[in-house]
Amino acid sequence: MNGTRGTPFAAFGLIAPVQLMLAVVIFIPALYVVWLSFQHSTFGQNAAFAGMDNYARVIGDRYFWRALLNTFIIVVVVVHVELVIGLGVALLFASGVPFRPLMLAIALAPYAVSEVSAVVMWRFLFDGDVGAMTQLLRFVGLPIIEWSVQPSHGLALVALLSIWLHLPFTFVILYSARLALPGELYEAAEVDGATTWQQFRKITLPLLMPAILIAMLFRYIFAFRLFSEVWLLTQGGPARTTEVLAVYLYLEAFRYNAFGVAAATGWLLVLASLLLAVWYLRRLYKEMFATYA
Amino acid sequence: MRRTSPLGTIGKAIGLALFAVWSLVPIVMIVTASFKSDRDIFAVPQRWLFAPTFVNYEMLVLRWGDFFRALFNSLIITAGATVLAIAVSTLAGYAYSRYRGRTLAFSAFFLIFIRLIPPIVITLPLFPVVNALGLSDTHLVLIILYATFFVSLGTLVMRTFIDQIPRELDEAASVDGASRGQIIRKIVLPLSAQGMVAVAVFVIVFAWNEFLFAFIFTATRAKTAPLVISEMIGAVEGVEWGVLFAASTVQLIPVLLFVVLAQKHLIAGLTAGATKG
Repeated sequence: MNGTRGTPFAAFGLIAPVQLMLAVVIFIPALYVVWLSFQHSTFGQNAAFAGMDNYARVIGDRYFWRALLNTFIIVVVVVHVELVIGLGVALLFASGVPFRPLMLAIALAPYAVSEVSAVVMWRFLFDGDVGAMTQLLRFVGLPIIEWSVQPSHGLALVALLSIWLHLPFTFVILYSARLALPGELYEAAEVDGATTWQQFRKITLPLLMPAILIAMLFRYIFAFRLFSEVWLLTQGGPARTTEVLAVYLYLEAFRYNAFGVAAATGWLLVLASLLLAVWYLRRLYKEMFATYA
Repeated sequence: MRRTSPLGTIGKAIGLALFAVWSLVPIVMIVTASFKSDRDIFAVPQRWLFAPTFVNYEMLVLRWGDFFRALFNSLIITAGATVLAIAVSTLAGYAYSRYRGRTLAFSAFFLIFIRLIPPIVITLPLFPVVNALGLSDTHLVLIILYATFFVSLGTLVMRTFIDQIPRELDEAASVDGASRGQIIRKIVLPLSAQGMVAVAVFVIVFAWNEFLFAFIFTATRAKTAPLVISEMIGAVEGVEWGVLFAASTVQLIPVLLFVVLAQKHLIAGLTAGATKG
């Protein structure tokens, strides 16, 4: 509005409620977690300074490494499979589909489903006795998924369920981005005799790259927090083999009352998220000052 | 324009059909199974033709009265979180759309930065605080938590929509002697209704379905519907599928209809939230 660098007074009042909520509910508690991670803390005891003890315990705990590995595998698989399917479906939709509103509704439907209901659905599909997928797998002679017994099968079901639940997000981001690309580009390519594959490689993919990276970043960050699906499906079992980091943190805090260890895990989670997002945050910081200052 | 070979058309049709099956089958499966008797649920192979029955719903009403109380809790919490999130997001969205300044730039960065903190991390310090304040197992604690986790996205979405309202309208009203509050009420609110619907879609779907916070911060009085369904999963080791399907269906159908009806706003909101910041 004007060239001054100071923020007008009225603006403070308007952003105050939002900023206050974020500070009180999320930011200050997150800082407190840092403090907590350097304390010996459990129920009914005063906290005592622990130095790096909690971190040492986390690093020395094989269940932590198992949870980290599980999280890593699930995140990598889920995010990349989602991107490939999401991109494929987005391009399919962008090339024109019959009954578009209906098809969009179908594509978005899983977005409405709660993690709890999704677990009910997929557990039923893969139920060892009556599950439709189990029967199908048996029918075509493939091994069935024994998700409650085999750790790798349990994780596979978690991954499948997560992909299903979050595909609408990836799809919508990529679909909107594809619709925003100017049609003239494709007309020109058509005139120059470019094949469909060439159009995809030379036009669609490079121009969609920013949207792909954004979708990927958001999904990386959110998949990393994965809790409910695992908790509701396997509770981390059998024998703590299917834990992910958030489940490990929950168990340390609320079952074993090791708040310090949980806090150290939590802070490692935050750091990993920040690290993942470093390029995004840098770009964002510049962008915000370019827009607002 | 585009050359479409018959082979391409067939491939596309198959692709779309497979995608529709993938998206819908899990949902259709439990909704239809909720109207099946136990005998039909456990039939191998699955029966697609069966005599529909309401026996699972009757069982749900008779044996899980808890579930309907929880559904009501979910309703209150969802409504509260939605109203709160929209109110504060609209005010902030207006500020980010109309004002400039270094503090504003930094606070906009903070707004998005905060989204990187995983919810489970803050449950550690909040758990004792919520208990000490006597807020444990209340609607209020979930309303505040749910709203807070969506005000960042909400503010971004509202800013994008308010950006589309011409500033000349503000300025004209200002010249006519309208106060800031009057401008927001009389001009911005009515013209940014679409943005509010987009924010509402996010918050409603999230608050209605959320599990982690409800699991940690409620016990009996403020329990939400997803939590009771999770108890049903746990309680039935020889899983009592029928009742579980009925409960899941009741929990799912309203929000599914809402998402289908509001799909345009959901798409607009997701796009604005992810790409504009």
